[in-house]
Amino acid sequence: MDAYDEDSQARHGPDGSTGARRPQDPGDREGSPAREGSADPDGPHARDDSGDPDGPFTPEGSGGPDGSPPLPPAPRTGVAGLSPRYQVGAAVALAVVAVAACVHLGMVFLSLAPANTVTKQHGKAIEQWVYPEFEQNWKLFAPNPLQQNIAVQVRAEVRMKDGSMRTTGWNDLSARDGAAIDGSLLPSHTQQNELRRAWDFFAATHGADNRPVGMRGALSEQYVRRVVVMRLYREDAISREGVIQRVQVRSSTTNVQPPKWSSEKISDKPVYRLLPWWTVSADEAAGGVR
Amino acid sequence: MNRLSLTLSRGIARVTESALGPYQSAVIRIGFAATWLLFLLREFPHRQELYGPDGPWSWDLAQQLTSDNHAFTALMWSAGQGWFEGFYLLAILSSAALLLGWRTRTASVLFMVGVLSLQNRSVFVGDGGDNVLHLMSFYLVFTRCGQVWSLDARRAARVEAARARGERVRADRLGPVLWAVLGLALGGVTLAGRFDNGWLVPALLWTVWAVLGLWGAVQRRAKSQEPWILLDVIANVLHNGALFVIMAEACLIYATAGWYKIQGSRWQDGTAVYYPLHLDYFSPWPALADLMSSSGTIMMIVTYGTVMVQVAFPFTLFNRRVKNVLLVLMMTEHAVIAVVLGLPFFSLAMITADAVFLPTAFLLLLGGWAARARGQLVRRGDGDRTLPPPRSAEESRPGRVGFTA
Repeated sequence: MDAYDEDSQARHGPDGSTGARRPQDPGDREGSPAREGSADPDGPHARDDSGDPDGPFTPEGSGGPDGSPPLPPAPRTGVAGLSPRYQVGAAVALAVVAVAACVHLGMVFLSLAPANTVTKQHGKAIEQWVYPEFEQNWKLFAPNPLQQNIAVQVRAEVRMKDGSMRTTGWNDLSARDGAAIDGSLLPSHTQQNELRRAWDFFAATHGADNRPVGMRGALSEQYVRRVVVMRLYREDAISREGVIQRVQVRSSTTNVQPPKWSSEKISDKPVYRLLPWWTVSADEAAGGVR
Repeated sequence: MNRLSLTLSRGIARVTESALGPYQSAVIRIGFAATWLLFLLREFPHRQELYGPDGPWSWDLAQQLTSDNHAFTALMWSAGQGWFEGFYLLAILSSAALLLGWRTRTASVLFMVGVLSLQNRSVFVGDGGDNVLHLMSFYLVFTRCGQVWSLDARRAARVEAARARGERVRADRLGPVLWAVLGLALGGVTLAGRFDNGWLVPALLWTVWAVLGLWGAVQRRAKSQEPWILLDVIANVLHNGALFVIMAEACLIYATAGWYKIQGSRWQDGTAVYYPLHLDYFSPWPALADLMSSSGTIMMIVTYGTVMVQVAFPFTLFNRRVKNVLLVLMMTEHAVIAVVLGLPFFSLAMITADAVFLPTAFLLLLGGWAARARGQLVRRGDGDRTLPPPRSAEESRPGRVGFTA
């Protein structure tokens, strides 16, 4: 990174494709050959008269061009340098930006706040504003952190090359993710998020009877199936040698044991949630990322 | 009443005549761009699995979801491998350009397109870090975040120096070409009907493009100075508004995280921090986690401290010293989280968001160190060629460019 500090006061273009040219200052526009702002005795006056004694934000007085008749003490930039007609434009811009920023923050605030009088009345409007691009969830480990390890396990029925069918044992994919993360400074999203969040998505869009709720329920089912099939082909010896026909997924939920210094007692037996066998379509069995 | 109007007019003068916090906006530009760039490079071997057309979250699945939630993603424009690979590369390049501050405004727009497209393509592989980047990439578009520590700033300084020496300055060629190419791309995408899913991002892209064109035209042709000043004022107002939103967003993150934690029984009984340390998905260093959680008292202090800091942070902004102490605490906590919970990109994004509140004097010091380190590196690499010494922080005038938050 360059620390070209002199640019801190350089008022340059919009940095964009067309904005590479540095805007000229008034002196240049009116024929002054060079910028002599800081040496110009008019500078300080211009600054004082700009009505902003705070200094730090006042642009360096660029002063009047040499030899030209004294200019009104207009700053290089800012509304004071504009005629009333243009000042209206600036005022409108200021108002629009201020209102937009406040409305936006208000909407985001309401989307994050617990359900309340206002969100009950205007929930639809808030949703339309915030979704999809400003969606956010900051209930990180709140109100309570997750206290269970949820492992996704899968087994498959595989048609072998000789035509026979074999059923694999349970593959604990989450345990493999956990092992892959161990000792890693940069865990990959494929290890840390993919299966974990696929299962969250599935659980959130399925009832206790494992029936999908809405369109997303159906999507989540396909997603989980595709993830586990990909993983089986990659990690399971039997699957690799044949074609997966059906898969069965279960989740195993185990409580994190309370700390040693706590007197709490919690069961350490895993609780299983067994899903029905799913038929794997030819497309899912063949394609995909390996 | 008089004092009120005076304060008001001063405030208006402040937010219209300059883009506040040039160093703060530069540091978040660099931070967010670096986070995303490192993430894209880290996941380069896994790009197909995470975002590719044949990944587990296949193009068809993404198609069904995005046509329902209207999220913007350029990756739905085509299911082809070529488009995906090219786009991933473009996302890397735009992050690098934004990091360096090369054509910053354009780079920030492309950066946003990259972040939104990849994340909306596969929403179910992201975490909190992705969420922060998603929002900030959008807000960054509105800031003048290349005023310092950028190639744009260096170029502007060179042009300025040349002009001061009375040399003729060659007009910028690349800018208009880039603008025209992007205009053609936008036009093509629009005509092909690919902008039919949600209006927000397409409208933003067209607006930025039109304004950049207007900007160039005004600089080149306008006889009067005023149109340009007006545009400059609008750009300043937008920048200051966006910076305010970014800061408020950071406060919302901490406030939400903190206030909801207060309601949790584990945060009340002082054991909450113990549990994430013992989740298989968030414990890359189990021995370290065990060591940290070996004392109940320490766990309780960390648990309570976390909640207090998060809840208190927004209010401490009114006091510089307390705010800076909390900033140190929060950045440290995030650095620890990066390693102990295995969330480096989330932590980097959060540290960057915190950095928007750093005092200018500290950032100048940081910039000085960076410049000196770079100078030494360049000199070592260049053998005996003599180079001008890097500018130190002292040479600049802190306070001139304000936002001494």
